Amino acid sequence: MSQIAFLGAIEVGLLFALVALGVYLSFRVLQFPDLTVDGSFPLGAAVCASLIVVEVNPYLASLAAALAGACAGMVTAWLNVRLKILHLLASILTMIALYSINLRIMGRPNIALLGETTVFSPLENLDMPTYIALPIALFVLVIVVKLALDWFLNSEVGLAMRATGVNPRMARAQGIHTNRYILGGMALSNALVALAGALFAQSQGAADVTLGVGVIVVGLAAVIGGEAVMTTATVFRATLACIIGSILYRLAVAGALNADMLGLKAQDLNLITAVLVTLAMVLPGVRMPFRGKRKGGMTS
Amino acid sequence: MIAKRMGFAAMAAAVSLGFSTLSVAADKHVAITQIVEHPALDAVRKGVKDVLAEAGYVEGKSLKWSYESAQGNTATAAQIAKKFVGDAPDVIVAIATPSAQTVVASTKTIPVVFSAITDPIGAKLVSNTAHPGKNVTGFTDLSPIAAHMALVKRVMPTAKRLGVISNPGEVNSVSLVTLIEAEAPKAGMSVVLAAATKSGEVLAAARSLVGKVDAIYIPTDNTVISAFEAVVKVGNEADIPVLAGDTDSVKRGAVAAAGFNYYDIGRQTGQMVVKILKGANPGDMAVEGNAMTDLYLNMKSAKAQGVTFSDALISEAKDIIR
Amino acid sequence: MIEARQIAVTFNAGTPMETPAMRGIDLTIPEGDFVTVIGSNGAGKSTFLNALAGELRPDSGQILIGEQDVTGWPTAKRAGLVARVFQDPLGGSCANLTIEENLALANARGKRRGFGASVGTNLRDDFRAQITRLNLGLENRLGDRMELLSGGQRQAVSLLMAAMQPMKILLLDEHTAALDPKTAAFVLELTREIVAERGLTTLMVTHSMRQALAIGNRTVMLHEGRVVLDVRDEEREGLKVEDLLHMFEKVRGEEIDDDALLLS
Repeated sequence: MSQIAFLGAIEVGLLFALVALGVYLSFRVLQFPDLTVDGSFPLGAAVCASLIVVEVNPYLASLAAALAGACAGMVTAWLNVRLKILHLLASILTMIALYSINLRIMGRPNIALLGETTVFSPLENLDMPTYIALPIALFVLVIVVKLALDWFLNSEVGLAMRATGVNPRMARAQGIHTNRYILGGMALSNALVALAGALFAQSQGAADVTLGVGVIVVGLAAVIGGEAVMTTATVFRATLACIIGSILYRLAVAGALNADMLGLKAQDLNLITAVLVTLAMVLPGVRMPFRGKRKGGMTS
Repeated sequence: MIAKRMGFAAMAAAVSLGFSTLSVAADKHVAITQIVEHPALDAVRKGVKDVLAEAGYVEGKSLKWSYESAQGNTATAAQIAKKFVGDAPDVIVAIATPSAQTVVASTKTIPVVFSAITDPIGAKLVSNTAHPGKNVTGFTDLSPIAAHMALVKRVMPTAKRLGVISNPGEVNSVSLVTLIEAEAPKAGMSVVLAAATKSGEVLAAARSLVGKVDAIYIPTDNTVISAFEAVVKVGNEADIPVLAGDTDSVKRGAVAAAGFNYYDIGRQTGQMVVKILKGANPGDMAVEGNAMTDLYLNMKSAKAQGVTFSDALISEAKDIIR
Repeated sequence: MIEARQIAVTFNAGTPMETPAMRGIDLTIPEGDFVTVIGSNGAGKSTFLNALAGELRPDSGQILIGEQDVTGWPTAKRAGLVARVFQDPLGGSCANLTIEENLALANARGKRRGFGASVGTNLRDDFRAQITRLNLGLENRLGDRMELLSGGQRQAVSLLMAAMQPMKILLLDEHTAALDPKTAAFVLELTREIVAERGLTTLMVTHSMRQALAIGNRTVMLHEGRVVLDVRDEEREGLKVEDLLHMFEKVRGEEIDDDALLLS
């Protein structure tokens, strides 16, 4: 594999590490299977790109993208806690709606950002080539986001959010208004994913309405893959696993693309992803996402 | 003893031959990235390959040929772009907008030739079509819409309402629909739009036009073209003539088309690639558009869709399907 | 003082599976009372507890806790007034959070949660001191996950958690039922100690008549959604299980043939 392909894998892996962190928040912390991300990733790209092409500061545009993602997450959560719609279904509804909403926001299916001022534009003035500078910049960003998330999850509010996912009945008995925490957690999760979408569009040159296809699968592959290669006993390790899982997944993809000898092509990627995720779930000591809680045998 | 040595030598030769086939000591390397597998895009790729072969660049001999499809996934397209840039080929050919955009974002030095892109300026691949100036040039598949509108009127002079089916999610189609909405009124027709976001929705979209339109025009939209037979079915049932922007569709049941097919586009793209392989600078090469407009007619469809061709039309046709 | 006025709850109303779980329960619990609640399966014991805790809203009736009408309050809103230990050792704590994190959750019951660290050093020392009194050797295992503890250990910790912050009433929902006899006795003794130490107003549901008479100062029996027996202090002292049964039969005019009640 060439250095550029390797660094390219790191680059995309770091972008999707933000997605993995968002998926970790919903799937693992809140125990909320959330497909909204297939819609909030392109939503972030759409909002950001639409703002950048009308000369809005790219940092503000990226922030706006994150806020848009937060709204999307809250819609899904609201459908679930207020209207009592099953979480998986609620997320699918939001995801479907977002396809049309994203088209509306962009006005067209593709907004090109090549040549526009993005948050990565300052990197072009550096001495080192972009394909090295970009992964480094992303690395710094992802670490900052990770540490902020760790701090949050270890705070009182964060602990309450974790309890909401693990044992909502007990959480309520401790005075935790679980509905509020679900709304907040889903907002945060999808804000991260939307931010990832905004950064992806800025680094890859365009926001396209098809960006969201398969994002949830990649996010899950990263979370589960990370858990397979390291223990996740603490919050610090769990978020680290998300980042490592995402990068490993992209390296595996790059490996498959570059293994001319094996004759693997990009067409085979879906199969490869399925095999990787299955392997990761089968390896011992890995928690299944939807293992039911043991029944307590309550009577009368 | 000697036999053993010869056996060894034979094995060594076989292995090194195997290795050398893997790491082809080729003169030139052309890499093609495609966003998704699809008959039109595949035809472009074939056109490029055939023209290269005719110019003496044959895969496995004097040409290393890499091809990857992103399966519709933009993140994969990004990784494919990075792989290709890392392999440093002589030319990267990018088919369809998302693939082209991520390649252009990844390299400012390797020559890039895009193809099957309707609006390269809108996609920010080049800043101008006459003299792109950087490392990117290519071939657009922009249909001569004005000519196509005129053809509709020639096939059905009484047409006042034109139905158009497209996928609002395909950036190429969006550009075309805008052009159609500008040109159709000049030909005395109003436009009725129907949307299909997946090929499974095309039949319903076509049916929704029955009773509301006099003729149907299908632009070069990947989604609708892949389900073209559904439109033909509706046109036959309801006596509505169906015209298309690409000529392959005439075989499949369109009553008429004046234009190009994607294989031709591929060939013309291939010619640009050959020029670059021979040393031309992509920045100096103007973005080209299709120069060929052949007229294709389908008599069987004409009967089924309730249309009679004028003698003038028949005499101009390059090919008539009976 | 806790007051339950005419609480009625019917499950699956209007369907063939209609079950009136509570048919008008009146109960007043003055501060400091330690009430044990018994009754056969389906008598409405857990339903009553759930209504007090806010897990379910009664179809009619009122619940007042210390003069406040909390009938419409959800569980989380009442949490500052009501502490609870569940029957299921797994249900009362967060399995894959650590002991100290569980304690921190309980420590914040009734308080506003902020963005400070959930378990700071001071808090940890405080937890360590509290958990030492359990004599289970858990003071050095604060960083262990809850799921590593045995059922008895978890219930002991749950009890500690429930008593950490002030409350108007402590609800114990058959909290020794899932434990073996020796551990159950340990947890019961711990319960007696903690309640006595802090003078907690307590409502304890139990399936065992013997246990019901051995602890607390008052015993209430529920049957078919109503209070059929309510004995306290002197009246209750010296009572044996057979006496309870006779009193019940007298009140209801029926024979009990519930094995669970008779055998325990």
